[in-house]
Amino acid sequence: MTDATAAPEAPAADSKREVFALAIAVAGWIVPGLGHALLKMWGRAVACFLTVGLLVFFGAGMRGNIFTSGGNDAFDTLGYLADLGAGSFYFVAKSLETNGPDVSRADGDYGTRFLAAAGVLNLLAALHAYEAGRGRKA
Amino acid sequence: MSAAIVLNLSHLQAMMLFALVISIAFGFLSRRKPVERVKYIVWSLFLFLLIGVGIGWAMYPFSR
Repeated sequence: MTDATAAPEAPAADSKREVFALAIAVAGWIVPGLGHALLKMWGRAVACFLTVGLLVFFGAGMRGNIFTSGGNDAFDTLGYLADLGAGSFYFVAKSLETNGPDVSRADGDYGTRFLAAAGVLNLLAALHAYEAGRGRKA
Repeated sequence: MSAAIVLNLSHLQAMMLFALVISIAFGFLSRRKPVERVKYIVWSLFLFLLIGVGIGWAMYPFSR
């Protein structure tokens, strides 16, 4: 027979921790590195902020394509989702790229990949912060 | 804001830049100790470049 008196405490604590971890993940998505900064993982916070920022900076500098919500096909939609992964840096990229994209050159094509990689990398970092927020080894 | 930054990089430069930045991010996310991070970054960068150049050469016969 199991002890029934200690059982009710665990789910409440788990759900509280889950909400905290979700908030950390959302913060990390909106501002790259913020999730880790809230967990006082300063090295990872700075690394995430700088790497995502550099990819966005170089991607916009190479005049990569920044996808918008009005895509024509599935690839445009996927590109938009990847770009959105950069959170607020998506809008930084838009403001940096004043001349618009130019994918007729290899630079522009590379820039598109840089911007998408920035978004996906930031999602990975947010997921990492989420796991760390849940108390898992990170 | 009118930054008008324009970068003109070669294929190799762009690939190296991409590999370096991603390797640094992977190193910081996946390792805790500084020495392990550096090792991971160097190894990851090496593999990125090796595989990138390798795929480039593998595609060479079909490029024309």
